[in-house]
Amino acid sequence: MTYLQDVWSWQQHLRSGGSTSWREWLLTDRTGVAVPAGWSEPGAAQLEVVRRLALRRLGGPGSEDRPGAFADLADLVTSRSGPGRGLGQQPLAWGPEGTGSGHPGEGDPLSGRFPASTATSRRHRVGAPPVDPAEVPLEELVRVGVGALTELLLDPGAPPDGDRHSRRRAPAFGRMTGTAPFLLDGAPVTVSAVRQALAAAGHSKPGAASGVVLLAEPFDQALAQAWSARVQHGSPARWAGFVARWSGRLELPRSADLPTLARTWADRVGAAQVHVVVATGGVQEASRVAAEVLGLRTGRRATPSRQHGTAALPPAGVDVARRVNAVLGVRVAPPEREAALRRLVRTLPAGPARMALTVPGRFQARVLERAERLATAVREGGYPVHGSPGALVPGFSGLPTRPDLQDTLEVVLATCLGLARRPRSEGAVSGG
Amino acid sequence: MGDPVDGPVDGPVIGPLPPGGRRVLVHVGAPKTGTSFVQDVLWLNRHSLAEQGFLYPAERFDEHFLAALDLLELPWGGLERQAVGAWDRLAERVRAWQGTAVVSHEILATATRQQVRRALESFGDAEVHVVLSARDLVRQIPAEWQENVKHRRTVGYGEFLDRITDPHRTGELASWFWGVQEVPDVLDRWGGTLPPERVHLVTVPKPGAPRDLLWQRFASVLGLDASALAPETNRSNASLGVPETALIRRINERVNNGVLRNEDYRELVRELLAHRTLSLRTGSPRLGLPPDVRTWAVDLSEEWIEVLTERGYDVRGDLDELRPDRIAPAFSDPDDPDRDDLADAAVEAVVTLLDEVARLQGTERRLAEDLEAAYVELERSRSLRFRAKRRLVLEADRRRALALALAAYRRLRRSSSRSA
Repeated sequence: MTYLQDVWSWQQHLRSGGSTSWREWLLTDRTGVAVPAGWSEPGAAQLEVVRRLALRRLGGPGSEDRPGAFADLADLVTSRSGPGRGLGQQPLAWGPEGTGSGHPGEGDPLSGRFPASTATSRRHRVGAPPVDPAEVPLEELVRVGVGALTELLLDPGAPPDGDRHSRRRAPAFGRMTGTAPFLLDGAPVTVSAVRQALAAAGHSKPGAASGVVLLAEPFDQALAQAWSARVQHGSPARWAGFVARWSGRLELPRSADLPTLARTWADRVGAAQVHVVVATGGVQEASRVAAEVLGLRTGRRATPSRQHGTAALPPAGVDVARRVNAVLGVRVAPPEREAALRRLVRTLPAGPARMALTVPGRFQARVLERAERLATAVREGGYPVHGSPGALVPGFSGLPTRPDLQDTLEVVLATCLGLARRPRSEGAVSGG
Repeated sequence: MGDPVDGPVDGPVIGPLPPGGRRVLVHVGAPKTGTSFVQDVLWLNRHSLAEQGFLYPAERFDEHFLAALDLLELPWGGLERQAVGAWDRLAERVRAWQGTAVVSHEILATATRQQVRRALESFGDAEVHVVLSARDLVRQIPAEWQENVKHRRTVGYGEFLDRITDPHRTGELASWFWGVQEVPDVLDRWGGTLPPERVHLVTVPKPGAPRDLLWQRFASVLGLDASALAPETNRSNASLGVPETALIRRINERVNNGVLRNEDYRELVRELLAHRTLSLRTGSPRLGLPPDVRTWAVDLSEEWIEVLTERGYDVRGDLDELRPDRIAPAFSDPDDPDRDDLADAAVEAVVTLLDEVARLQGTERRLAEDLEAAYVELERSRSLRFRAKRRLVLEADRRRALALALAAYRRLRRSSSRSA
């Protein structure tokens, strides 16, 4: 068996839904493989993504809405490169160098992979070094998966958006908050969650005691929610880059700058009508306080919806969205970009309003100092404060400082599988 | 092998146009091998080239860069948003051209096989030739680090060398370096499906060679008359010395955390400081390789030359030019630059920026004066006209004939506006 025969046969195995690893595949009985003319072999990362998809599919619901959906998805993954910068397309480690070995009973089928000690030992070998697909870095798998995910989101065979209402212009106060119709502002994910909770409880209109509720979160959480909101509006910023950018400036993201928000609203409605609700007790508690201070009256109960405002996504979900944004930015014009992003956000798994994320260690001292100043400004601003401003100072403990890459990969795989199951029209993307 | 280093360059190496009448030359790099210069000559002469049957399809000077970003799906500090659909537009113009078209950008070197396939298929039935210019690795490595520094990176030289010499090539930095600089691999990815005679390797002459020799080699591959297209461009990626590069790297460390936006960095740091100021300081030590890395690079170069010889590509120049010089200049470490040299470079940078601030303040003052004068003029004009119009309207309230005349004038003015 030649290298190309082995790769081709493994690709066909994976395409049919198999999940055998490359190392194990080389130990199976595989004869009579004919490689079609013109076929060019995919790289290790692409094939490993297909294997991970197959594994996840086996562990998931299992049923497919459309025949051949998985084979189409596999073709899509293997027919395109990962977008942007990353590792070069790596060949698969295969048999003792140059011997074409790798048959059953010959021991470790990858024993001949290139030694890692020196470059000069790779005599007359050029290109990216071969790798066991199982050892391809997660970052690379995510990159390849995001490329396929972007194609699925731009798939002309995708069902209609069905999200027209989210583009409807929100009422005046809603425009200020990104939601409607309550006078809520502050941490955007919490604002959306509280608004939905209030709507679900039947509070639909501002009551007699008009006022504004600023929903305040610990400063690191406020930054994380501001990042999530920016990403949901198309930003490709990494979490660490986002924090770095703001840590070097005097100004803050609008939603995280509580003193400025409070002053802006106080100029409109008076300081006594600006209620700062420290939302560290959770969405339900914040909703109860908000309803009370706004004097909301109970009305018809509404069905909560994720369509409005900033969705509560887990850090891995935001990480996937920002990576997709980076690709969409170079692939399509703004209207299609926005539509694809909306589709993605609807498809991503929901998370709790409170993101399990804090700022990287190198920024914590600066963030702490800034948070203390914010807390003091809130305390001394003359606004009614519900809860302790001291809770706005983050504790940092026990929270991850970056989205977990394994989680990000799982979200990419699950989202790809979910989108690939849909019915597709002619002209949809398919590889070969 | 091809021509000697400083010998004459023969005429066009490419034969007559194929039966379909379409040919495309894709110049894919490598960075730091005179690509900017070639692109500038092609851009500046695009109209006269078209009259000779050569298409350099570009409406703006960076059109091929945008097309490459599109093909590679490569974010580039926000510029990529101008690149949507750029490759397809470029390919469409190539397909529609009867004659020879030239596509050129150095970041194309990093394309994967799938991206190469898409690119080559997009040219339809045109006869494709691939061109790569190459310089010896010992000169390319420091040049690439310097390019990294000029693109806001803060990685030190020692760490850069560690990463690129790691055989695993883990990380974006090493992957990008080898993606654009590994000559045999770039040619394999781009030219693997083409006959070797349609793969052209242009070697960069050694220092001391005639100034226009590189251009002559390019022109011969492109099938152009080098003397008829006397290059009059000043555009080139000027190189920095050791203290100057160290200074820019330190500046990066201070301006990367939200202090300078990408467009401001490009204008002030890369263009004003690096290209227009610090690159003119030619007396400072030049970037080189430490002895151990140099030995490694020399060995690797020998391997490449062996591989390239076996492949039988069309070489314009001489593969021997990819062999580093035997005599190595003394190594000056940019991670530990001479403090006096660094201070001199920093003072020059400060003076340049002060000069720029003074210039901008002058511009600001002039603009403020112009604005003030415009306001005064507007007020004067407005008050005169306003007073006259108000008097007319008041009079029209009292005199019917004047009211009718005013109404007629207004109708006429509306009609005139519509027809305009």
